[in-house]
Amino acid sequence: MTATGIPLTPRPQPNPRWAAARRPRVGVVKFSSCDGCQLTMLDLEDELLAITERFEIVEFAEATSNRSHGPFDVLLVEGSISTSDQAEEIVQLRHQATSLVAIGACATSGGIQALRNLGDHDAFRKAVYPNPQWIEALATSKPVSEYVAVDAELYGCPISGRQLLELLTALTVGRRAQLPDEAVCAECKRLGNPCILVTHGVACLGPVTRTGCGALCPSFGRGCYGCFGPRESANTPSLGDWLRTIGYGDDEIAREFAKFNVGAPAFRQMVEDKS
Amino acid sequence: MVNPNQTAYFLPRGDLDLLIQSLRSDDRDVVGPHVRDGALVLDEIESATDLPVGVGALNAPGRSNIVEGDGTRVFDQPPGAMSWKRWTFPPRVTQAVWTDSEGPIPARQIENPPRHITRKAFLGVRACEIAALRIQDKVLMGGPVVDSDYVARRNDNLIVAVECAVAGGTCFCTSMGTGPEVTDGFDLALSELDDGFVIRVGSPAGWLIVEELPVTPATDGQLADARASVSRVRDQMPTTVATEGLPQQLIAAAESPRWQQIAERCLACTNCTLVCPTCFCTSVSQHSDLDGRSASTERSWDSCFTLDFARVAGGNFRPRTADRYRQWLTHKFATWTEQFGSFGCVGCGRCITWCPVGIDVRDELMAIAPPSADPVRIELPIRTPIQEQHRPMPWVPATVIDKRRETADAVTLRFRTDYAPLLAGQPGQFVMASLPAVAAPPISVSRFHEDGFELTIRAAGAATAQICALERGEILSVRGPVGRGWPVEQAIGRDVMVITGGIGLAPLRPLLDWLIAEREHIARIQLSYGARTPADRLYTDELAKLARGGIIEVAETVDRAGPEWLGRVGVVTQVIDRVMCSCDRTVAFICGPERMMQATVDVLHERGVPDERIWVTLERHMDCGVGLCGHCQLGAKFVCKDGPVFSLAELGPAFAIEGL
Repeated sequence: MTATGIPLTPRPQPNPRWAAARRPRVGVVKFSSCDGCQLTMLDLEDELLAITERFEIVEFAEATSNRSHGPFDVLLVEGSISTSDQAEEIVQLRHQATSLVAIGACATSGGIQALRNLGDHDAFRKAVYPNPQWIEALATSKPVSEYVAVDAELYGCPISGRQLLELLTALTVGRRAQLPDEAVCAECKRLGNPCILVTHGVACLGPVTRTGCGALCPSFGRGCYGCFGPRESANTPSLGDWLRTIGYGDDEIAREFAKFNVGAPAFRQMVEDKS
Repeated sequence: MVNPNQTAYFLPRGDLDLLIQSLRSDDRDVVGPHVRDGALVLDEIESATDLPVGVGALNAPGRSNIVEGDGTRVFDQPPGAMSWKRWTFPPRVTQAVWTDSEGPIPARQIENPPRHITRKAFLGVRACEIAALRIQDKVLMGGPVVDSDYVARRNDNLIVAVECAVAGGTCFCTSMGTGPEVTDGFDLALSELDDGFVIRVGSPAGWLIVEELPVTPATDGQLADARASVSRVRDQMPTTVATEGLPQQLIAAAESPRWQQIAERCLACTNCTLVCPTCFCTSVSQHSDLDGRSASTERSWDSCFTLDFARVAGGNFRPRTADRYRQWLTHKFATWTEQFGSFGCVGCGRCITWCPVGIDVRDELMAIAPPSADPVRIELPIRTPIQEQHRPMPWVPATVIDKRRETADAVTLRFRTDYAPLLAGQPGQFVMASLPAVAAPPISVSRFHEDGFELTIRAAGAATAQICALERGEILSVRGPVGRGWPVEQAIGRDVMVITGGIGLAPLRPLLDWLIAEREHIARIQLSYGARTPADRLYTDELAKLARGGIIEVAETVDRAGPEWLGRVGVVTQVIDRVMCSCDRTVAFICGPERMMQATVDVLHERGVPDERIWVTLERHMDCGVGLCGHCQLGAKFVCKDGPVFSLAELGPAFAIEGL
């Protein structure tokens, strides 16, 4: 048994990049986001104690006002980069973090606020604010990976607590975190849901969306709205063609993709093609 | 009422619930068709009112709709959304559990933890579905290694078949020869008439059920009505897939442009494979608690349409959707016939109905392999006989007794074990090496000893890095030896060329050991060995000694030399070019990346070495090592059990086709 306490593997082996004598230092920081992903972590009520026993939480924006400024063994970053200050800060944080993990749709694709990437930023500012000159914001909302290298990404709006736990657990034993890149459909079929696109013609983005949510929406008869973002080989044009075949208009199809991951190329392309 | 000489009875419609209650007695759960959320599914049935009474279903490519049916009729639908494999081969099964308790760690593993499996009666099994159960039986229980969880779940199933009274819009059982008539493989078989059910008895267990029912012997008129009903279904369903010569034509079409055209529509979403009643591919995932007190492995349904399915450290064998669609279709309709003696498709039409974009496998088959008066005849390769494995294939502990560093990122670990099959392993065989909570990768054995074996491992990923970090006295859990090794007997009396690079020498080392032991019977042994740099070479002292003693000829080359390197610089094929070879009596054994092996094969072909005497060892994604998980397929071969060593003659064109 080592200091990190994994007695299971034949070779108890904590992540070799960590000093074995102490708990890994974990930080949770945020940029432009709603804090929902951080709340998902706080919602892991049954596991929070185990998490704090295995990790030293040195900074957690939603949970405590203490700030550590690093260094971090693992830094969880919520939110998109949408101001020039944020663009500088994320670079500073990257220098402080051994592993940087982007969490949630904002940090991995720009979030719902990336809708502005498709429009006229100045016009939006003028429409909303009486004194738009005081608004310091970049014209685009971008994922963390556009500014710094990331070691892992957790997708979703919000992220899945189960996946966050898998990431942390995998770090403690040194395994590759099991975050499959398959379609939502695979989990939907394992659950035994008949496809709602086939039975009811419900627009469902499950076939082009990354798994991880546990097929939550289709399990309740609602079409997947792609909050985990496009999976690998996401064939969005083919799904769009089929939706048109079964009676959806181009505007409706564009709106399906113009949501929390509109900044992801495979979804953005559909919005641009169908608008 | 029941007479043993009589095999067909009539049950009035109003008494159907008595059949269900009779099935439910004896602690059996009854599973049957049920309408849920506007779709026909399979679910637990407690009474006849749970069945889809007066309900019809219209199926078309990418569409399935529940519609009003005919009055009080119960089974007037084509097969629904789910197949019975959900009960015989569940989506997720916990395979092994480790808990923090007494004893050495691998010994603490509990394989196939005891589970309560209730007895099941399957009510409403269609002819195509009986065929599907039999196909999965062949795959998962046909050996040489069986899936013990499947065996436990299939045990004691009571099959109550129903003969179809309607043909669905996506049905093609008549093409595949599986229906619509229910001919055997049932305990009871129902044919629905307007006023009740003709029940045929197919087994002693079926007799016990019928004896409890208020049945009357079926009249000739009732039997004729039942036959007429199923005969109408046959007439409604045109033969849409011409199966004559289909496997040969599909294999011949491996490089058809149509694959890419389908890929433009295919979502690679996995629906077709997961609704398929015969698809059996699975993955094993590792789970552990954050507090490190327990770990487990879980087997779950997987699909050849996912990217991870063919992933190996540092690469992927099927990166494109076209590759994955081709794998699926050719497996179902071509290579399956060679592996298991039947098609992997029963014509139930689920992959068509439940494809979210309505791709129709019937159309694709006819486009890729159109029926022809003169079907293309390609001889399917002869199936390689599989060595009888020891079943069950257990995981056993092996203790590290020595460790030697080979290169900056590779070590050789010597293990001791008293597990006899491991001590009797053959050169070229491998083991699955399990690190609980981390992974269980396949690793080639690099030497066999009287008291154990060696593994030479390069730290390529998380699991291999941790295996490399094992120290003397520590324990690894292994399954093996698995696979078919090098055909050492071919070396007798011949010139032997061993060609490899870098870590690829490891699986060839037991072969060299064997050749050296049999040196007097072998004409020449020539090792051509390439490496990235001089420091990336394995077993340098051993090889130098053998070369000095004139036992083997060693020709080495490196991609990048350092100041200390006085040898050749270049790729290994350049070294082979210089090797003097009596090529008409040469046998070649090769291990390396596929590109390197292809280039090597080209050189050997130029020099006249025939395919029958060129042997390669292949790398593929493997989760089980015993031919059950499906990941490692290459054409009709399971690389794990039919290989990993193959001759080029066995592989045929499969060796060179990209993404197969």
